Amino acid sequence: MPPAASITVRVPMPLRATCGGAAELSLAAPSVRGVLDELERSHPALHRSVCDETGAVRRHINVFVNTSHVRDRGGLDAPLAAGDVVIILPAVSGG
Amino acid sequence: MADRVVLALGTKKGLFVAEGAKARRKFTLRGPFGPGVSVYSALLDTRGAPKIYASSCNPFFGMKVLRSTDLGKSFKETKSAPAFPKDDGRALANIWSLEAGDGKKDLYAGVEPASLFRSGDGGDSWEMVDGLSNHPHARKWQPGNGGLCLHTILRTNGKMHIGISTGGHYLSEDGGKSFKASNKGVGAGFVPDPYPEYGQCVHKIVGHKAAPGRLYMQNHGGWAEWSGEGGPRPDIGVLRSDDHGKSWRSIAKGLPSDFGFPIAVHPHDPDTVYVMPLVPETRTCPDSAPAVWRSENGGDSWKRLARGLPKKESYFTILRDAMTIDELASPALYFGTTTGQVWIGRDGGEDWECLFDALPPINCVKVAVA
Repeated sequence: MPPAASITVRVPMPLRATCGGAAELSLAAPSVRGVLDELERSHPALHRSVCDETGAVRRHINVFVNTSHVRDRGGLDAPLAAGDVVIILPAVSGG
Repeated sequence: MADRVVLALGTKKGLFVAEGAKARRKFTLRGPFGPGVSVYSALLDTRGAPKIYASSCNPFFGMKVLRSTDLGKSFKETKSAPAFPKDDGRALANIWSLEAGDGKKDLYAGVEPASLFRSGDGGDSWEMVDGLSNHPHARKWQPGNGGLCLHTILRTNGKMHIGISTGGHYLSEDGGKSFKASNKGVGAGFVPDPYPEYGQCVHKIVGHKAAPGRLYMQNHGGWAEWSGEGGPRPDIGVLRSDDHGKSWRSIAKGLPSDFGFPIAVHPHDPDTVYVMPLVPETRTCPDSAPAVWRSENGGDSWKRLARGLPKKESYFTILRDAMTIDELASPALYFGTTTGQVWIGRDGGEDWECLFDALPPINCVKVAVA
């Protein structure tokens, strides 16, 4: 497993109420999956809005690392580097 | 003192609350709450201080349960929504029904994929009801056109009835611990066996406290012309039971169509029942002229009620939870349309008037005197 990197998570406006109004969260995680695991521990309401109960990212949510969609980086287990920004965005497909 | 009639209107773009005096001449509208997000179910809970619950089915961020303690002036999310256990493999897709349980804060939620959840604290936490959700049939149920939904939770005369599309009717006689498929006489038109043990596309079930054992069902009819395997299945769409749903018989004779979604029963007369027949192919009213049909003899004969409703050129659908009746001495019926109209039928449906003409498409209409 790669070492945990200090990264920033950008929270979209509609979900900020689930994490005390924060637009950004700082945490350490080795991968996007690690970020989601950490969110489940620290901000469960935010996690429930991003992932369903099987742990899958919801169908109409996109997760980017910097400017790349996570699927183009090899999926949730692709390693993160210090300073990476994980961006959670609602997709245009959902409504 | 309960002196207001309150309507909860679940729409494709949020929940609206309408309030009027008992005369029901005019209603004022509030909302939308959970704006832009579809609301499939609502509950006006008049046990103790009135509360309104609604499901908010967010395509982006998942399911939420909204709760109001000020009769629909404001809503907040409850602390959590139903969720399957992590190792279950299923994920919540929608909340189709919310009903009151035994205790003052007990609630039930029927969800998609078809499963039952219970809350003991007014919706802040939820647990899956295993007897139904992990029933041996559960993984064999199939989605209907609207999804694999548990849409009816009916608790009456010591029994619990569940309606699933497509799963059929399930009966619990031990307070919701265990359930049995109970579909004797309930037909299906889309499988080779016309009367399977389970798997019917039940649309809605209602009962009446004053008539133990009496239930009415709107089933997925419209199979009179079926020419495939098993042959035609006329009149399987509107059914009645007199033995707590252990057996069912057709009461569809005399209706222009046995297809429809909602069904309602008069609050003070278990023999008076209302349906809204639809053309099965289009899900719109026969001859494009909307009408509620009423039976005052338990389904032996039917009368068309349409005074005040459009006489032509109406092509809306009335969904399974979009028709209801209040409990006043002279009750009024209400229905909402997929074209965003809310109609009131005063004097038991004798005279109809459009209350709201341009809401978003309506999923559910609930009413209470509060």
